[in-house]
Amino acid sequence: MTERESAADIEAAAARWVVRADRGDLDPAELEAWLAGDTRRQGAFVRAQAAWGLLDRGRALGVEETPQRPRVDRRGLLAGLGLAAAACVAVIVAPRLLAARYGTAVGEIRRVPLADGSLAAINTDTALEVAMKPRRREVRLDRGEAWFQVAKDAERPFVVESGPVRVRAVGTAFSVRRRDGGCEVLVTEGVVEVWSEGAGEAPRRVTAGERVFASDSAGAARPVPASLEITRELAWREGQIVLDGEAFGAAAEEFNRYNARKIVIADPALAEQKLVGWFRTNEPESFARAAAASFGARVTVRGDAILVQSVAPLAE
Amino acid sequence: MSEGRARVVAWIGREILPHEADLRAWLRRAFATAGDVDDIVQETYCRLAGLSHVDHIGEPRAYLFQAARSVALEQLRRARVVRIDTVTEIDALNIELDEPSPERIAGGRRELERVRRLIAALPDRCRRIFEMRKIEGLPQREIARRMGVTENVVENESVRGLRAILAALAEGETEETAAARRPSTHDRTRKRR
Repeated sequence: MTERESAADIEAAAARWVVRADRGDLDPAELEAWLAGDTRRQGAFVRAQAAWGLLDRGRALGVEETPQRPRVDRRGLLAGLGLAAAACVAVIVAPRLLAARYGTAVGEIRRVPLADGSLAAINTDTALEVAMKPRRREVRLDRGEAWFQVAKDAERPFVVESGPVRVRAVGTAFSVRRRDGGCEVLVTEGVVEVWSEGAGEAPRRVTAGERVFASDSAGAARPVPASLEITRELAWREGQIVLDGEAFGAAAEEFNRYNARKIVIADPALAEQKLVGWFRTNEPESFARAAAASFGARVTVRGDAILVQSVAPLAE
Repeated sequence: MSEGRARVVAWIGREILPHEADLRAWLRRAFATAGDVDDIVQETYCRLAGLSHVDHIGEPRAYLFQAARSVALEQLRRARVVRIDTVTEIDALNIELDEPSPERIAGGRRELERVRRLIAALPDRCRRIFEMRKIEGLPQREIARRMGVTENVVENESVRGLRAILAALAEGETEETAAARRPSTHDRTRKRR
């Protein structure tokens, strides 16, 4: 078999065909033959044609603009609701300190608009307390994981506390997950500062697309770039688990965070198998069955356990 | 180009291209290697190219995502992987369509403005050729004559400009997509038995 043509090569060739067609220097049979070679070529060609046409008569050059269909901006709507909620809350409870507790049960994922217009997505089995103080927005994460999209307010920094670990932001988006001995921080927008009280280290700056682990005792490690992992790891905000080559064992642990019915893998060799796929957090059994089907394993459900075992021992 | 085909191509330019960067970001979230994403996108355009008419498509963005999703699923099934029957087509689609909230959606208008800026930023000769071809409507041969270069030079410059614009449409403007297009560095070294 010849080596598969890369998408980039196809794109370059498609652009050439489009320009040649425009020049009038084209043998249609030759083009047909090229197109017939691969369906991706047909796609690349129509795409290049469309882009070329987009420039016609200056549609993109500003001579005329096609009217765009107005689109409902859900996010704006959500932020608006958050502000409206903030207004109500302020009227009713302003005299008291604005602290609110949010908890999620195992398997529950909540999106909560906060009083300042920020948004919190709270993952399974999490305890969170939010206090909107005049000079500081304080969030305490006792357990679990949450992602925050922080409304900009330079006067009032937004600080997440989890044990001695601190994550400070002004207007940005990031998640914090409590683990044994420290916190995992993933940044999706902007910049945050991470440190641990008492560790005696200067705060670390962590920027969008980076992750960092902050140990309770030693403070934040060096941030590492991980934008692909971050988008996958935050799929829980949509109630999903996205796997790209993770081991079955690690994936099962991830499901077990969300469900009372735990996946138990009877065979260590099975736990090493790699998976790709896209699942709902609350469907551990379909996940287990899908995985088992692909490895030739068997699933037995006993009470609160979903047991996965090899039908025959795996060949070493 | 037949009239029907011309209409489909124009529709793709107007209604589909502006959403391509979002589509890629979305695909990347689920199917993490960028090489696959390029393939999926080309296959998706191939399906759109096969449409005989487009008047029945009320939500081009949704249609695009749906088409890409089915291409992606097909590719996953062809590779030896776990089935993904736990997420129904419509479910996953709705998530993207009404809650893209974590990462913002680029509006079509903004994309067009980018294309305009991009043309302005092309190297002089390349930009001049685009202007003569697209605004003044001169054929390539005439452009070559006026500029005192060969037709091949005009062709090469046009290809270069078109590719730059295609690349910009693919990338969109988010930091996330810019970062994700860099060569993947995430390693998967896991302990082997």
